[in-house]
Amino acid sequence: MKRTFAAIAVAAAALTAAGAQAQNYPTRAITMIVPFAAGGPTDVIARIVGENMSKTLGQQIIIENVAGAGGTTGITRGAQAQADGYTIMMGHMGTHAAAPALYPKLRYDPAKDFSPIGMAAGTAILIAARKDYPAKDLKEFIARLKTEQDKANEAHAGVGSVSFTTCTMFNVMIGIKPTRVPYTGTGPVVNDMIGGKVDYVCDQIVNLVTQIQGGNIRAYAIATPERSSALPDVPTTKEAGLPDYQVSAWNAVFAPKSTPPAIVAKLNDALVKALDDPATKKRLLDLGAVLPQGNERTSAWLGDYVVQEVARWTPILKAGGVVAPE
Amino acid sequence: MIRIRAPQETAAGLFLIVLAVLVFWQTDDLAVGTLRALGPGMMPRLLASLCAICGIALVVYSLVKDGAQLERWSIRGPLFILGAAIVFGLAIRPLGLFVAGPAAVILGSMATRDSRFVESVVFGIGMTTFCWLLFKVLLSLPIPVAPWLLGY
Amino acid sequence: MEAFIGNLELGFTTALSLQNIALCFAGCLIGTLVGILPGVGPIATIAILLPLTFQVDPTGALIMLAGIYYGAQYGGSTTAILVNIPGEATSVVTTLDGHQMARQGRAGVALGVAALGSFFAGTVATLVIAALGVPLTKLALIFGPAEYFSLMIMGLAFAVVLARGSILKAGAVIFVGLLLSTVGTDLQTGDERLTLGLVDMMDGIDFAVLAMGLFGFAEILRNLDNPETRDVVQAKIGRLLPSKQDVKDCIMPVLRGTFLGGALGILPGNGAVLGPFASYTLEKKIAKDPRRFGKGAIEGVAGPESANNAGAQTAFIPLLTLGIPPNAVMALMVGAMTIHGIIPGPQVMTKTPELFWGMIASMWVGNLMLLIINLPLIGIWVKLLKVPYRLMFPAILLFCCIGIYSVNNNSSDVLMTAFFGFAGYAFYKFGFEPAPLLLGFVLGKLMEEKLRQALILSRGDFATFVTSPVSAGLLIVAVLVVVVAIIPTVRKGREEAFQE
Repeated sequence: MKRTFAAIAVAAAALTAAGAQAQNYPTRAITMIVPFAAGGPTDVIARIVGENMSKTLGQQIIIENVAGAGGTTGITRGAQAQADGYTIMMGHMGTHAAAPALYPKLRYDPAKDFSPIGMAAGTAILIAARKDYPAKDLKEFIARLKTEQDKANEAHAGVGSVSFTTCTMFNVMIGIKPTRVPYTGTGPVVNDMIGGKVDYVCDQIVNLVTQIQGGNIRAYAIATPERSSALPDVPTTKEAGLPDYQVSAWNAVFAPKSTPPAIVAKLNDALVKALDDPATKKRLLDLGAVLPQGNERTSAWLGDYVVQEVARWTPILKAGGVVAPE
Repeated sequence: MIRIRAPQETAAGLFLIVLAVLVFWQTDDLAVGTLRALGPGMMPRLLASLCAICGIALVVYSLVKDGAQLERWSIRGPLFILGAAIVFGLAIRPLGLFVAGPAAVILGSMATRDSRFVESVVFGIGMTTFCWLLFKVLLSLPIPVAPWLLGY
Repeated sequence: MEAFIGNLELGFTTALSLQNIALCFAGCLIGTLVGILPGVGPIATIAILLPLTFQVDPTGALIMLAGIYYGAQYGGSTTAILVNIPGEATSVVTTLDGHQMARQGRAGVALGVAALGSFFAGTVATLVIAALGVPLTKLALIFGPAEYFSLMIMGLAFAVVLARGSILKAGAVIFVGLLLSTVGTDLQTGDERLTLGLVDMMDGIDFAVLAMGLFGFAEILRNLDNPETRDVVQAKIGRLLPSKQDVKDCIMPVLRGTFLGGALGILPGNGAVLGPFASYTLEKKIAKDPRRFGKGAIEGVAGPESANNAGAQTAFIPLLTLGIPPNAVMALMVGAMTIHGIIPGPQVMTKTPELFWGMIASMWVGNLMLLIINLPLIGIWVKLLKVPYRLMFPAILLFCCIGIYSVNNNSSDVLMTAFFGFAGYAFYKFGFEPAPLLLGFVLGKLMEEKLRQALILSRGDFATFVTSPVSAGLLIVAVLVVVVAIIPTVRKGREEAFQE
């Protein structure tokens, strides 16, 4: 009895403290977990956005890279952190949409174990092939893949990577089972693509853009509603005849479950301000990033979006014949 | 009558054989695959087999050729050095550098009889302060300093 | 030729602006510092300093970050020589003879030769990048999965030569190293392999964890077991700088090392890792008395250190001309460039020539600065060796712990290092050498990846490794190296048999 009372007292004290804390928040540096190695697209976006958010919040945002297991190691740690707003994380299409299908032992639920803060930026996905692939547009490319399934070599950057998941969707959508060649990371994929050793890849625009501009790799389509300013000649999937292929490698900020709403609001406000800041915006757009507009910037929208994305990716990845780690 | 002539080689060989058996046991559920698509089990088992062959060869040699003795293993060194590292690993996140640092230095110092307790306490605090300045202040690595006191 | 001089002129005008000199110096200084600290690598540091470079223009930012990278290479050699801890795969070889030299009271000479050799190699490599960077890129593209696999096989053949003792035992530890590299999630199927069900093992074993365990912790344990050998280091402090004879002994090894390291560094598949090993193998093979190697042979420091630095520089070629990062640090440089709005690729050279040539020129400036920073420091390092061991080893222990933690900000890495520390101690008792094991580990991951890619692409046909001339050539070299290494032992064995 005494113990229960003590527990309640402690909880009450903690709540009051939390309330007071939320008002002055933040009083010290905030850690943002990036679940990938430093230097990758997600890390770059987190650093650009985080730098501007620090200015609004008046406290430094420290990036902590906790890479591993397709990003799930870092997000697991973030989900288990104290919900006081001092540990937040940069979630990703992989960790918050594809992971439940890829990792049966996943120790968090993307929809339930987080307080969504807001969408940061997405990067567009390209369908690209080696420069001498005998097909002049996406329609011909798909037709050829269908007739030469056993000859086609698709390269991806490892099970669970963006190029793996997005190309799984592409393959499932056009109904082919090509030979899939696994690499560790995008660099070696691009190398062998330029060298003509593999046939095609789906990947984020930032990883391929200069090779396409330089004519080393040919892009067939970009999976966004509108064309990219960096590659104005590349048609959208809608224009090229595969309108259902709409994917983006999105990155969004999350806090652990039951973070006080006042803190969530402050963080969302700082994030939105960062996206509106001209210098930050330019840096992101230079990367080929797609920024959220209007209500896509609210916390509530992100919460719904995660639910939709999990529902969308799970059947595709299962159909794609992924051998999931047990 | 078989006599072990090179105990160090025997031990090394037995170690390799045990390692190989462990690998086979741990990978028994992994597919070996085909030539066109090597399975996840192929490399580990191939390498384990090679380890086992080397191990058997070492054991056989150790029975026919004279060689080195197996040196005495000390307990004090591994216990305190590795213990200190384990304590550091367990303490760094919940308690921070200001606890884990001195603890590792003091515990580690006990690995040798030459050390003096008071000296290692002073040295531990000094080194931790130095590391705090170096890693946290100068290089600003995200290392917890004292979460129970400072909140980070 | 005129264009070449014009380009270099543009480069030096950019690199020698007051701001860029300051940034280059800052980068080199920070790089040296983190290189010396065991475990703390250039990756963590560059990541942390990235936001600080937002205020500077991209050229200045990249000059500073590149300075951290090659500064860390210089610093890493210092730790390898003084306390026998390789901070990176490329300084594993330096521990072999470098640390032995330190034990013989020749730490200053080893450090001096390392710095001078590195400077020379850096100078040559910079010129190579400037003159041949673009055509060499085409060469790099010849390397597909099959060629890389054969290259890795050749690297493993070097590892056999690396060993001091029995060939059988050397082969065995290489296999153990390869085995350790297979730990983690399978590349192709996503199956967990040998992870013992631990989440922290899913991405395999980190190089820093293994190296700190096998070298850092195990070295302390070994020294505690042998109080007499550890005091040798403190007893003798010889000359601080190499003598004329030392320099003379090193000229040829430095030249050969520079060539090997520079050539391998161009390969986008992290060929730079092989440079020091190849150089060591070569020096040991052509030496009049190969038995000196592993006991403080100066060529065993000079050659590999030059190869290391030449490779570190030429590794920029695939990054700058193709936009393909050959290793984790270069991947981070890609991130740094993209943050600054420059996406690395073939256009960097034409679109932003001042950045491209400025960076190349700054590499030479940086190497000169590193020489100036490092030579006076030798005196301080050598004095550090006089610290009594009872204080030295807890300090190394603490630095290692913090360093390992900072690699992934993961405390279980520290626990795993303790485990490998014990394994390293056991290996020492069994008479196994850790250096070939580390090489096997480094090459293993890439080797399996490339083997599987090559076989997938050839649809299971092993002929793919011999139909490509490059691949076939590399395999022949590998066989030759192993045969040459084994013949003396076989002959010796037979002679002994006859004597009985």
